[in-house]
Amino acid sequence: MINYKEIKSEELRKEAEELKDKYFLFSIIVVDRINEGKFELNYLFENKENADLINLKTFILRNDPKIDSISDIFPAADYEEREAYDMFGIIFTGHKNLKRILLPEDWPFGYPLRKDFVINDEIRNWTGTDLRW
Amino acid sequence: MNGFEINVGPAHPSTHGVLKFKLTIEGDTIKKAEAEIGFLHRGKEKAAEDVTYMSYLPFVDKIEYVSALNMELLYSSLIEKALNIQISERAKYIRTIMAEFGRIMNHLVFLAAFGEDLGLISEFFWALRERELLMDIIEEISGGRLAPVYIRPGGVFFDFKEGIENKIIEAMEKLEYKIKEVHEYAIIKNSIFKARTKGVGILKKEDAINLGVTGPNARASGINRDYRKLNPYLIYDKLDFKVPVFDEGDAYARCLVRMEEIKESIKIIKEATKNIPKGDYLIKMPWIIKIPPAYTIEIQETPRGEIGMILVSDGSERAYRLKIRSASFFAIKAMEKILEGEKIANFYPILASLDPVMGEIDR
Amino acid sequence: MKEITFEDFSKLEGGFLLTKAKELAHWLIKKGRSKSLWPLTFATSCCGIEMMSFGASKTDPDRAGILFIADSPRYADAIFVSGTITKKMANRLLVLYNQMPNPKYVIAVGACTISGGLYHHSYSVLLGIDKILPVDVYIHGCPPRPEQFLEAGLKLQELIKNDKIERYKGYI
Repeated sequence: MINYKEIKSEELRKEAEELKDKYFLFSIIVVDRINEGKFELNYLFENKENADLINLKTFILRNDPKIDSISDIFPAADYEEREAYDMFGIIFTGHKNLKRILLPEDWPFGYPLRKDFVINDEIRNWTGTDLRW
Repeated sequence: MNGFEINVGPAHPSTHGVLKFKLTIEGDTIKKAEAEIGFLHRGKEKAAEDVTYMSYLPFVDKIEYVSALNMELLYSSLIEKALNIQISERAKYIRTIMAEFGRIMNHLVFLAAFGEDLGLISEFFWALRERELLMDIIEEISGGRLAPVYIRPGGVFFDFKEGIENKIIEAMEKLEYKIKEVHEYAIIKNSIFKARTKGVGILKKEDAINLGVTGPNARASGINRDYRKLNPYLIYDKLDFKVPVFDEGDAYARCLVRMEEIKESIKIIKEATKNIPKGDYLIKMPWIIKIPPAYTIEIQETPRGEIGMILVSDGSERAYRLKIRSASFFAIKAMEKILEGEKIANFYPILASLDPVMGEIDR
Repeated sequence: MKEITFEDFSKLEGGFLLTKAKELAHWLIKKGRSKSLWPLTFATSCCGIEMMSFGASKTDPDRAGILFIADSPRYADAIFVSGTITKKMANRLLVLYNQMPNPKYVIAVGACTISGGLYHHSYSVLLGIDKILPVDVYIHGCPPRPEQFLEAGLKLQELIKNDKIERYKGYI
C-alpha cells in the first residue's frame, strides 16, 4: 500500500503540484545518513478517500543543505519544515517565517538530532535564565 | 499590520498546558494570531536512539498522558509489525477493550475542561467522578492509574482474573445512566451553552483536509473519515458501530461528536466483554531484541486523530530514527486560521473545543 | 494618627505584658496562616492530571483548607510545581514566583522536578528545580497518587505552625 518514488531535489515542486487534488501531506521525515554524507528526506502523502500512501524520497548534501519549500502548495508543511530546520539545520528557500520552533530562540549549541551532537556538561548546566528568586 | 499586541501567556488558569499566543487586536476583534510552542520539549526522538526497544516503553505512554493506553498499543503494534509476529485472539479482544477505555477517559477530561472554561465549574467535579470509576477497574487489572505499562509487544502483561467481566459491565451500566441523565442535560441541552458555542469558531471543510486535521475535529466539519473503518486493525471489522459526522464545523458540533463517541464506545465494550475467547495472553519475548534493516510505518485512530509512528532500523539493538507524527500539531496551525475575525472573549471556548495536549505537540 | 505595620509591631521592646501580647499575636497568625493555604493553579504535564484528580471530589482538599481558586499569582500563598520544567519555561516560572507576595512556599511534585527523573539524559530539561527556587517539601512518584498530595499539604501545615522554615523565622 506504500508506493515510493525516488526523485531529484529540483523536481520536488513539480511532483507536488500533481498530487494536490487527491492527497494531503501526512508528514516529512528526515534521516541523517552520516556515512554517505547526505540527508535523506521522505515526503509522505495520504489519499483523501482511502488509506493509500505515497512516499517521495530525495537526497541533499550534508555540507550545504538547501531545498525548495512547498508551504504555498500544501499549507500543512509550514510547521513541519520549521521543525526540520530546528532539529537538523536544513534551509527551505521561499518559506516566509523560518525560525526555531521547539527550542528557545537563543539556543547556542547547534542542531540536536544530528548524529555528531554530543551532550556534555556545558549543555547540562545551562539553565537559560539569569533571573534570581 | 498595526494594532494593539496582546499576549496570552504560557501559564493560564485553564487546564490546557503551556501554550502561548500573540494576538493583534483592534477594538474587540482579532486580526492576526501567532502561536508559540516548545515549552514542553523533552527530547523523546533523541532518547529513542540511546535506549533499547523494550526499555523505551515508559517514554511512550507519557507522550499523550491523558489516554496512555492508546499510545502503548501503537508502539507495540509497530514492533510486532517489524518482527512479523501474530498475537492470539484473546490478546486482541483484551487490547480492544483497553483501547476503548482510553477513549472514554479522554473524552471525560474534555468534558471537565470544556465545562469549566465556559463557567459551569460543577461539571469539572461531575466528570472527574465518572473517571474515578474507570480508573479503579484499570488499577485492578494492571496495577497503575495513569501510566500502566500494560500493553507490551507480544500481548498483554497480566491476564483477566475471574469476575472482572461482571465488574466491567456493571461500571458501563452506571456510566451510561449518568451520561444520559446528568451530562447531556448540563452541556448539550443547556441554552446558555448553545448560545455561547453555536456559530463560534467555524472550520470549513476544504481548510480542514488541506491543513492535515483528522479525528473528531475533522468529523465535525463534514469529512467522513475514521481509520478504524478504512483499514481495520485488531477486531474492529467484526464489531458493529457507527461513526458520527456533523456538518456545521463550529464548537457545538465538536462537542456533540465526542459525546456520541462515548456512547458508541460503551456499546463496543459491552459487546466485546461478552465474547472473550480462551487461550494464551502473552508471547514471551527477550529483553534485548534486534530488528533487521527496514522502514516500518504504523497508523492508528487515537482519541485525537490519526497518529503515526515511523521506524528506521539498521539491524542493531537500538533504533536509527523514530518519528512521531501527532494530530494536535496540525490543530494548532488550524487554530491560527480560525481566529481571524473572532472576538477575544471566544478565545478559550475555541481552544477547549479543539482539545490539544501539549505532550504530543512538543514531544 | 501614625500607622503601625506588622514590622514595627515586631520590633517593639518592652516589659512583661508587651512580650506576652507579641507572642500571642505571633501564635495566632501562624496558626491562621497554616489552616488556609491557597495554591496557584500551575500544571505543565502528566503530574498536572493527577493534580486535577486531587482537586476533585474523591480526595477532597477543601477539608484541609487548601482551595484551588487563586488564578493570579498576586493572591496565592504557595505553588505546587507539577510537570517537567524545561529550559525554555524556567524563565517564565521565575517571573511568576517573583510576583507572589511574602510569605510563599514551594512544593516540588514528581520525579521530574526533583532531579530530572526519566529525562536525565535529555538536552533540554532542567535537572531539578532546586537549581532556581527554594523548595520546602518534595513528593516522590511518577506520577504520585492523589493521597500523597494531601499528605504533603498536611506536612507543610505542620512546618508552618512550628516555625521550622529557615527563611521566615520570626516573620510576622
